[in-house]
Amino acid sequence: MTPPTDYQVELERTGTDIADLKDRLKACPTDPEKVTRLAYRLYHRASLTANFPDFEAAEAAIDDGIRQFGPKEDLCLLKATLDFRFHRLALVKRDLDMVPALRGRPEGRSMLADLDFQEGRYEQARTAYEDLIRENRTWDNLARLAYYKFKMGDAEDADRLYVEAEDELTAKEMRSYAWVELQRGVLRLTRGCYEDAMAHYRRADVAYTGHWHTDEHIAEALAAQGRFDEAIALYESVIDRAPRPEVRQTLGELYVFIGRPDHAQPWFDQALAGYLESAGRGDVHYYHHLTDFYADVREDGAEALKWARMDLELRDNFATQAALAWALYRDGQLDAARDAMDQALSSGVCDAELFSQAAAIERAAGRASESARHLQKAEEINPHYRNFHVHR
Amino acid sequence: MADHNDPNAVNSIFSDIDHSPADLYDLFGFPSQDTAGGEKVVIALTFASVPDAGVLDSDLLYRILIAAHPRVVWPPKDEFTLEALGRYFDAVKDKYLGALKTAEIRVTIDPAQKATVKFIDFPGGSFSTVVDIGKVLAIQTPDGYSIQTFIGGRDDAFFNDLPGFFRSINYAPQFYHVPHTMTEARELPIPKTLLELEGNDLFNYDPSNPLLGRGVKKDLPPGPWTWKGDRFKKDANGNYRFVYSGEDAQAGKNVNAIILEIPLAFITRSPAANRVVNTWGESWVRKAAHKVESIPDHPVWLEHPLALLESVRLDEELKKYKLVDTDGQPFADAALSEREDNRQLGANNFWLGPHFVKRLAHLGWGFGPSISALGLQTSFDHGNSPVSVHRTYSSVLEAFPKVRKTLFQGLRMPDDSWNPRGLDIPLRRPFEIFIPNVCAIDMDTTGTWPFGRRLEDQVATRFLALFLDMEAEFNGKKYHIDLLNDQPLWDHAPIMPKTPPNPLKNDVEFLDHFPYLAEPHP
Repeated sequence: MTPPTDYQVELERTGTDIADLKDRLKACPTDPEKVTRLAYRLYHRASLTANFPDFEAAEAAIDDGIRQFGPKEDLCLLKATLDFRFHRLALVKRDLDMVPALRGRPEGRSMLADLDFQEGRYEQARTAYEDLIRENRTWDNLARLAYYKFKMGDAEDADRLYVEAEDELTAKEMRSYAWVELQRGVLRLTRGCYEDAMAHYRRADVAYTGHWHTDEHIAEALAAQGRFDEAIALYESVIDRAPRPEVRQTLGELYVFIGRPDHAQPWFDQALAGYLESAGRGDVHYYHHLTDFYADVREDGAEALKWARMDLELRDNFATQAALAWALYRDGQLDAARDAMDQALSSGVCDAELFSQAAAIERAAGRASESARHLQKAEEINPHYRNFHVHR
Repeated sequence: MADHNDPNAVNSIFSDIDHSPADLYDLFGFPSQDTAGGEKVVIALTFASVPDAGVLDSDLLYRILIAAHPRVVWPPKDEFTLEALGRYFDAVKDKYLGALKTAEIRVTIDPAQKATVKFIDFPGGSFSTVVDIGKVLAIQTPDGYSIQTFIGGRDDAFFNDLPGFFRSINYAPQFYHVPHTMTEARELPIPKTLLELEGNDLFNYDPSNPLLGRGVKKDLPPGPWTWKGDRFKKDANGNYRFVYSGEDAQAGKNVNAIILEIPLAFITRSPAANRVVNTWGESWVRKAAHKVESIPDHPVWLEHPLALLESVRLDEELKKYKLVDTDGQPFADAALSEREDNRQLGANNFWLGPHFVKRLAHLGWGFGPSISALGLQTSFDHGNSPVSVHRTYSSVLEAFPKVRKTLFQGLRMPDDSWNPRGLDIPLRRPFEIFIPNVCAIDMDTTGTWPFGRRLEDQVATRFLALFLDMEAEFNGKKYHIDLLNDQPLWDHAPIMPKTPPNPLKNDVEFLDHFPYLAEPHP
């Protein structure tokens, strides 16, 4: 019999913890420590599964705790974490404001720095990350700064910081270690270094076995290397285990990429249904995907523009600005597209995908030399940028 | 769990953090009664029984460091100055950074629950062996010595009213639900005290909620968490209320332990001269990156259970781990490092010297007036304060005069049994007990604390005795470190309950033979 994977073991243990806490709470439903721990455990399970009902259960437990005991720091921090994950940035600020002291805590400051980054205050974010690291060299803040460096084009420094983050992690934190390895892999993949990327992904898989999140990355690397059948099989396996719309869209795009659009359509339909269901519930975290979907899959500029503007309202940063530019391009509004893309690139972001989109916009606007300049930049970053890749 | 203030990352006193096998509890060390074939020293390092008593975690590495040297008296007995103290700290620093040769016993466990025990840099060289856990074994050294060894689960040898101690320092997480983020809500800014303070509603015993702090917690009310009173609490009969109960909070609990009985001649080539064996323990956890590599043990360990190590680069092994916890003296964290992870320095804690002076003065303002209120004499100069005071210091110069006597007084022993041969051994003084943070086992004594630490020592109560004036007398006898264990003292004191602060003995009997700690509870 195959031994259970690390992922299965952790998921099972988390389920046991949750059941145990629920039992204990039956006897003493007003124990704030158990209520808080239950909320954390539920959130942990949701993070493992990425299953929306699991997140709903976690959110309900958090809200229940706050209703029972008032705005406790642990609960408000968890609520802010959950809201951040779902791009509800205004709510994140409200959550942190429920307990003013949170803004001064290291955990609260990390989140505020992440907010700065998401809202386009890049220098503030960088300074805050550096201050936090100076005060306490935690792996998560090192990884945050590494991501900043990665996005701003300093791949070498980013990898150095990821290595430092890994050095802070112990054998008791193998899932976190695997996550950092995946980030290092992404760093290499977006530079076109597929073998290196795959090595990191494999290492993540050894460190923490059986996680669909790792397999999702491996599938992308396989596709980038032209190992399409393996990639398709793995994507299907990931969808079986974590049926999220964005993976379905990716699989559809892979089918289109290899010239089998007929196979793509069902996946696209499922992806769109998932996005719209989420948006219909009032959730905002798929706005970016909807923009991307309508711009690239449906090539429906007007619809893409609608979602892009809604996303930009929530998060005004290079990613949403570039998405707006691309939607405007699809909608034939080339001047506005150029302006939006200029704004995105003025952040200093260094991303082959963005430069290739900027090149396309300039080319459509009849500015061949500008287009060539952007293309050259994209190639410098990733000589294989035309290969299959996931829009991150 | 004498070492109750461990790094937050692994500290099991926080109810929502899992117990960690890296959480070191106690280090015991004393000369063995068994002197057949030469003197031997017993060293026992205890830690959290995770995953279970008798089952050890294969991601952990435990070190017991050992350095033997002659007994020295420093500084001169009559030089009770800050300058002398500074010279002492410098001397300690020079010793630990310089010539001191430290040997080491390093223990790792493989997934099959076999322990690899490495003896490193002993006078006879280095070697290793692989042993079963849960068994008393004799390890034969290359130079012909026999080391008794036990690695596995035992009864927790520490007996203590830990909730009482937490009540004395107003440690909120023992009594209240305190979110992890609220680092300021641990030792609340209320005077530390041995006697309840009038109006200290956050921590005073509540008859309607007698288990508060003993498993039951309440919601922490909003601050400020200060105390505005001006007196100790008294009942209708004029009795103070003791913050301690004398109950053993550790009864029925298990630990995992590494226990060794080592010939002194194996530790030092000059056992006649090097009469003090300094020892301390460390826990290290494997770094994630090195777990992935799944480092195969060097074949030399596996193929030759008793192999010389000289060609192996052991430091490379340690680089694959992170230091998590250290343990030398009981209550060293209370006295020195509070809860800060970056203060887990083990013996190399000399830079905490100035902090030690300030922290001891802070504790003195709490415990000193409590002692005075009971009609006892204190070593701390609180200027006749009628009640405990919450005071912190930023300046050593300011703190030192208050705490001078507490730092320098010799801690008188209750009788002469600690010094069975009647040798000229000076009493130990607090500054040299806590810096360096080692268990200094004097081989010419019984090894009772502070000349080591025996299992039966009630160290929590002896720690409080630091604040007694050892020149004062009670019932015609000079104060001593076990005075607060004396039931007649409490019988005559205006206090309830009339009990020594901590239990006088362990919940189960210790063994009179190796491994000395009792069998684990089922």
